[in-house]
Amino acid sequence: MRFLDYIRSAFKNLSRQKSRTFLTVSAITVGSLSVILMVSLLTGIRTSLMDLLISMDAFSLVTVTPDPDALEGGGGGLITSGNGGPLSSDAKKLDDAALATLRALPNVVDATPIGSGIWMEAMRLENETKKMWPSLIAYEPETKVFQMPIQTGRKLTSLDMDKIVVGSRFLKTYGYTDHPQDILGKKVVFIMKMGGSAPDWGELPEKPPTNADKEWWDAQNDKERLITAEIIGVAENSAFDDNQNYINIAWAQRLMTQVRWEWDDSARKACEEQSQRERRPVDCASQNTLTLMKDDQYTKNGYGSIILKADNPDNLKTISAAVAAKGYGVSTAEDMVEEMNKVFLGIGTVLGIIGGIALFVAAIGIINTMVMATYERIREIGVMRACGATRATIRHLFTFEAAMLGFWGGVFGLLLSILIGKIGTKIVDRYATDIPIPIDQIAQFPWWLVTGVLAFTTLIGVLSGLYPAVRAARLNPVDALRYE
Amino acid sequence: MIELKNVSKVYELGGEKIYALNRVNLTIADGDFLAITGPSGSGKSTLANIIGGLDTPDSGDVTVDDQSLAEAHDRALSHYRNKMVGFVFQNFNLQPNYTALENVMVPLTFAKMDLADRKKRATECLKIVGLGDRMKHRPGELSGGQRQRVCIARALANNPKMIIADEPTGNLDTKKSAEIVSILKDLNRKLGVTIIVITHDPRVAGEAKKKLTITDGKIR
Ligand SMILES: Nc1ncnc2c1ncn2[C@@H]1O[C@H](COP(=O)(O)OP(=O)(O)OP(=O)(O)O)[C@@H](O)[C@H]1O
Ligand SMILES: [Mg+2]
Repeated sequence: MRFLDYIRSAFKNLSRQKSRTFLTVSAITVGSLSVILMVSLLTGIRTSLMDLLISMDAFSLVTVTPDPDALEGGGGGLITSGNGGPLSSDAKKLDDAALATLRALPNVVDATPIGSGIWMEAMRLENETKKMWPSLIAYEPETKVFQMPIQTGRKLTSLDMDKIVVGSRFLKTYGYTDHPQDILGKKVVFIMKMGGSAPDWGELPEKPPTNADKEWWDAQNDKERLITAEIIGVAENSAFDDNQNYINIAWAQRLMTQVRWEWDDSARKACEEQSQRERRPVDCASQNTLTLMKDDQYTKNGYGSIILKADNPDNLKTISAAVAAKGYGVSTAEDMVEEMNKVFLGIGTVLGIIGGIALFVAAIGIINTMVMATYERIREIGVMRACGATRATIRHLFTFEAAMLGFWGGVFGLLLSILIGKIGTKIVDRYATDIPIPIDQIAQFPWWLVTGVLAFTTLIGVLSGLYPAVRAARLNPVDALRYE
Repeated sequence: MIELKNVSKVYELGGEKIYALNRVNLTIADGDFLAITGPSGSGKSTLANIIGGLDTPDSGDVTVDDQSLAEAHDRALSHYRNKMVGFVFQNFNLQPNYTALENVMVPLTFAKMDLADRKKRATECLKIVGLGDRMKHRPGELSGGQRQRVCIARALANNPKMIIADEPTGNLDTKKSAEIVSILKDLNRKLGVTIIVITHDPRVAGEAKKKLTITDGKIR
């Protein structure tokens, strides 16, 4: 028999028992669906991450963090946000002095401090009500560290204060994706709540009255401080960091500086001492004065992190070693990729086992279906043998049928997962623009996944069909013809 | 020429040996029309299956045109059945989900023939048995006699040397039986196909050129 004849015959025979074929194929569909979704999700996340790292030229960057013991890159890494939080006792401060030392290391071309996790409730476009989760990265724009691609507008300079470069997620949220140039010049509003204090930008905090009570402080806590930044550019960022917006570190330093009124009681104390010395009662309470205190986070605690650019990606190891020797925490994109691979391997193994079990059950379904088919068709097998079919022909016939069950299971699994990917994207687009995970890029179906899945499910079919096919081929033709 | 030399087939049931065929010697010339009769269980089907290469003897040898079947393995034997033998069964054994045409195409498929050639040849064969107007019918849509004619067309497909019919009229009435026998006779006369018919029906046997009776695995 020819190849096409086997396929034709398998097709004809499978369509004889439509519901049974449907059920068997469904089991494979479900099994392959879970495997496909898992692989496409993992590769999707991986590719977007790698894209991001490559687009940021991350493979020539070294991230320096204050804490050598911290597992992650502390605060303000490339991907992670947060401002470090409380530092461990081993931590070294990443201040301007540290920046200068690090920049002077051999093989280091340039360095920028990074600040993120700026105190903020939310951000939004001016005159819009929809708020976005604040996601700001501050850096020194005029260094050679980042070649931030801009799709429209201009880049930041070190002189820009209340200016911002927004990400594509921001555009999308407010519907400017198709005409990004129109958002230039508009203002972003940062909504801050800092209690009685304020950032070192805009209005000073309200002076507390002498009789300030809990109620007054509570009112201060609920007070929103609005800081505006002019949009000067739109970043051409990758899917993974499209929620990221960028400002100059110098402005971030001002925003991260806490300004508050503090009671200065030195005058009162002097007054009281004087009144005691002179044994003359004076009302000294009114002598209390308020002074303006400024707390510069970056000077006090250092930057979240510092990123160094190597002259050559090959020198990353040398630089990392030199940085580590100075007692800082250090991480490179390679470390991150390694970590990422470990995590993905873990997730992949778990999901793989689940998918494997589903496919195993489906394979048993195929075996069952094919054994039933051989029983039903014993006489037919006898007739085919009488008409000149060899044992091998019979074996191939049943193997092709089983393979086809697997193949169609794979096809429907793929179609279904592509559909799920599309629906998922639609839903995410509509309801969850703020989630910092780009689902639209996540479900990916590269050619190797498609062919791999089809080959794999077909192979499962072939293997499951082996036993029934061999059984059918072994039948004695005379007995088969006499079978009632 | 088909020659059987000392062919025996033995079944053992509960320690007792049953000779389905007992040292059978037989020569069938090309173009013969042979009828085999005998009581039930005498070994007629066993003999026919051994000649047709469907069954193998326990001892003795079958040679067809000086080719021994005893030494042939599955591939060679299947090829022999495909090219040299056409089987016609009492219960037709047609594929229920295939049309008449597709049923006749089955042995041609195993012969690795082109789809177009297969259709052409199957159509020819159906016309020979007088079913040129029933090609798209499935077995369920045909009468018993018509089904048996499809079966003959299928046996004829690869231009075989012989047609072996095991009680081909067993399920048919007298009139239909006569039709089937006359088709077989035509094939024998016009195409020179050797016909071996097993039958209980003396009228069918009467149409054959030669007759042969088996009892207890022996030719009488
Ligand atoms: N698989 C088998 N196992 C045991 N005995 C068998 C087997 N096949 C056939 N026989 C025996 O061999 C003998 C010949 O059988 P065969 O089928 O050739 O008879 P037959 O002449 O065709 O009978 P019928 O006219 O009823 O078809 C019978 O006695 C039968 O019981
Ligand atoms: Mg019989």
